[in-house]
Amino acid sequence: MEVSGDHKFAAPRAAVWAALLDPRALQASIPGCEKFEEVAPQSYDLVIKVGIAAIKGTYAGNVTVTDPVDGESYRLVVDGRGKPGSVQGAATLTLIDDAGGTLVKYLGDVKAQGAIARLGSRLLGGAAKLMIGQFMKAMEKQVEARS
Amino acid sequence: MAIITPKMIGERVKRREDPRLIQGRATYVDDIKIAGMLHLAFRRSDIAHGIIKSIDVSAAQAMPGVELVITGAELKEFLPPMPIGTPFPSPDHYSVAVDRVRYQGEPVAVVVAADRYLARDAADAIEIEYEPLPAVIDPERAMTGEPAIVHEAFANNLAVPYVPGGTGFDPVAGTVDNTAVDKAFAEADFVLSQRMLNQRLAPTAMEPRGVVAHYEPGKEHLTIWSSTQNPHILKTFVAALTGTPDNQVRAIAPEVGGGFGCKINIYGEDYVAAALSKKLGKPLKWIEDRSEAFQATIHGRDILAYVDIAGKNDGRVTGLKIKLIADIGAYNMILTAAIPTLTMLMLNGTYDIPAIRAELTEVFTNKMPTDAYRGAGRPEGAYFVERAMDMVARHLNMDPAEVKRKNFIKADQFPFATQMGAVYDSGDYEKTLDLALKNAKWEELKAERDRMRADGRIVGIGLSFYVEVCGLGPSASLPTGGWEYSSVTVERSGKITATTGASPHGQGNETTFSQMLSDQFGIPMGDITILHGDTGVVKQGIGTFGSRSQAVGGTALLKAGEKVKDKMARFAAALLNPNEETDTSNMVFAEGRISFKDAPGQSVGFSDVAAYAYVPVPLPAGMEPGLSDQAFFEPANNTYPYGAHIAMLEIDRETGEPRLLKMLAVDDAGTIINPLIVEGQLHGGLAQGIGQAMIEEVVYDEDGQLITGSFMDYAIPRATDFPWFELDKTVTPTPVNPLGAKGVGEAGTLGSTPCIVNAAVDALSPFGVKHIDMMLRPEKLWRIINEGATG
Repeated sequence: MEVSGDHKFAAPRAAVWAALLDPRALQASIPGCEKFEEVAPQSYDLVIKVGIAAIKGTYAGNVTVTDPVDGESYRLVVDGRGKPGSVQGAATLTLIDDAGGTLVKYLGDVKAQGAIARLGSRLLGGAAKLMIGQFMKAMEKQVEARS
Repeated sequence: MAIITPKMIGERVKRREDPRLIQGRATYVDDIKIAGMLHLAFRRSDIAHGIIKSIDVSAAQAMPGVELVITGAELKEFLPPMPIGTPFPSPDHYSVAVDRVRYQGEPVAVVVAADRYLARDAADAIEIEYEPLPAVIDPERAMTGEPAIVHEAFANNLAVPYVPGGTGFDPVAGTVDNTAVDKAFAEADFVLSQRMLNQRLAPTAMEPRGVVAHYEPGKEHLTIWSSTQNPHILKTFVAALTGTPDNQVRAIAPEVGGGFGCKINIYGEDYVAAALSKKLGKPLKWIEDRSEAFQATIHGRDILAYVDIAGKNDGRVTGLKIKLIADIGAYNMILTAAIPTLTMLMLNGTYDIPAIRAELTEVFTNKMPTDAYRGAGRPEGAYFVERAMDMVARHLNMDPAEVKRKNFIKADQFPFATQMGAVYDSGDYEKTLDLALKNAKWEELKAERDRMRADGRIVGIGLSFYVEVCGLGPSASLPTGGWEYSSVTVERSGKITATTGASPHGQGNETTFSQMLSDQFGIPMGDITILHGDTGVVKQGIGTFGSRSQAVGGTALLKAGEKVKDKMARFAAALLNPNEETDTSNMVFAEGRISFKDAPGQSVGFSDVAAYAYVPVPLPAGMEPGLSDQAFFEPANNTYPYGAHIAMLEIDRETGEPRLLKMLAVDDAGTIINPLIVEGQLHGGLAQGIGQAMIEEVVYDEDGQLITGSFMDYAIPRATDFPWFELDKTVTPTPVNPLGAKGVGEAGTLGSTPCIVNAAVDALSPFGVKHIDMMLRPEKLWRIINEGATG
């Protein structure tokens, strides 16, 4: 399933870039993040708790940043497993200067197995969007706090 | 033998089963509770295709209340692969996957725990690592071996590579002579071709599956309760697989809340419950939840057809070629491979088509296996043939009724041997068609459609005519045996207890069989009890499927009744005429009394004769005491009921939503014992046929994830989706059984689906539509209306 959208930050591109790749800012911004551990450079094992309808549950997984083009774009690869099933996703984030701020565009693909696919496929897109929205809002605060 | 006067037979008697069912007083498998009973849960595969790398059960095993956690590899040590009932080559199919999973929902490990919830939690706590393999989803791509092979021994995923049939096919030599078919196509005025999909469906019985297994080590005896259509077959298979002598196994089908074919199968969960109960010496229960039912109870249909139909410009169909590709899913279940062969058997439809070539290929994919679902192969055949006949009418701009009439097998041609190898028993198709056209006011209906169209509405009418094979069947056509069993006992009180091997799951056999015995013995229905569904009570049996319980089971009942009645007549004669040798062949059983036909004034009470038979002082010469006997009945042939269906359908121009405005049927099921029950069966069949045509479809995504895994995403029709069903009948008895009954349980699914799609094509014909695949998703219809018939 394709997930796409964008989020406007009122901060320069370099500041947003730095925050997006900062482990502490990431940990603080990922919704429901209960554990966050760097296992390799730009690769983190984490546990997150999701409270949305059919995909409700605790998920253990990994997030890895690949293909970074400094200040411009990177790819995020996500893999998580929980009681309701498992989710894999990959998204490309692109940062663009936009009227004094920065526009972060994301385009990704999410796959699910198990009850999530069976019961939640119709909700998965919405849930992903909701969580990305929460992440971006929290990240805004991180960018502000750093500046 | 004495005469039966029809009094109850043919009456609209209310079902005697219903009060307990609608008052919540019936006993289903989940109502069975045994002291010390433990509960099973199955951990199922979340992926469609993969190799099991590791299973870690330690966390589950450590949970308090967990008795046992066991994997497929461990079970394999004492539980062999599941048997099937078809002669086709089949890969090993274990109750629980051993080293590889082949569909999403396949059991991988089993938990036995103190309660159901704990068992589920423990199953969730099992850690499984898979090496995922590409999921095989598209059957046509699968036939090239891409993107993977489901079973290594089956090259290109071909479960059944090629089965030919039809004109010029010699089943003994296995040769095919295409001369007649080629000639028919070469000389045709037109050939129409169409690819059609009869999509995958979920049976969705109201009561999901369930099993309670109770092995008593002291008695070395296994009792198994299961929501099954055929307890005797269950008993035989469970005994064989668990290594228990079959005279130490008792199978019980308590109340069964619908089956529609999906409960013919004996599933891995049944075998595991039995085997683990035996291993642990404890009673075990497993009840399927709805989510499991969608994933791991057999699916129905899923046959793709490439149809070529040839004919003359006067409407005569001269040739038919159909290439069938059945997507049977990941394994063979009991009848899986045989179902599409029934599609092939029925490709003659109701028509005298002189040249037919059919080919069947069955393909393994990473989906739940298919098997019998209401109609089981025949609705697919009826759909392909009836869609093709409608295409001919549309091509020639002829009335579809006239095309059918022109090609019908005529009443004087029965028994009719078809090109496909069936012998149709009896029929008068024109009579049934004429009644349907009359009831529908066909000409007015067409005019009304045209008026509505002139008002800007999108409306179509459809007609279909089906024939199906029922009353299964001689033993040559059924690997389990094609007979049925019954016993009849007149108790000391004069009440009757009868048993039947035709174990019902909604057919109302307790009612119809009581009606029959009431007429046979001349006593009230209320004095008759029909027992079924318990191999400890009913000595033998096959079961209820293929619309066979009345035609085959009902006849066995009558035959057992005849034997008891003959004996009772002799006891009655001995009471009436103690000193004389008399002819008892024409004694009359009526109004609770027995008399000689020639001396009706001189009679004895039915209950007095019963009492005398059990305390026979004096015992008439050459007789044994008692009034109890049994009979097996095997018909010489199947029966072939048929009918005409007419529908009117409107499609909303703004939303694309289809709405059924009219649904009319005239069915011929032969002799009818209870018209109320027959209509109920037709209503149910129509509902499921309309469901397939309009809203039902099982969907797997490209990774083999089942995305119609609940009633949120798998639609089934509700009462408000239907117009009033206008039903009528013709009665053409079958010569195959003395009742003349043909069977009706599946009929509604055969006529309604092609009829509705024909109506939809008619409605969309102004947009250039010549065919549309089921189901009639509003989005698809909206696109046609707004973007034209491209897809």
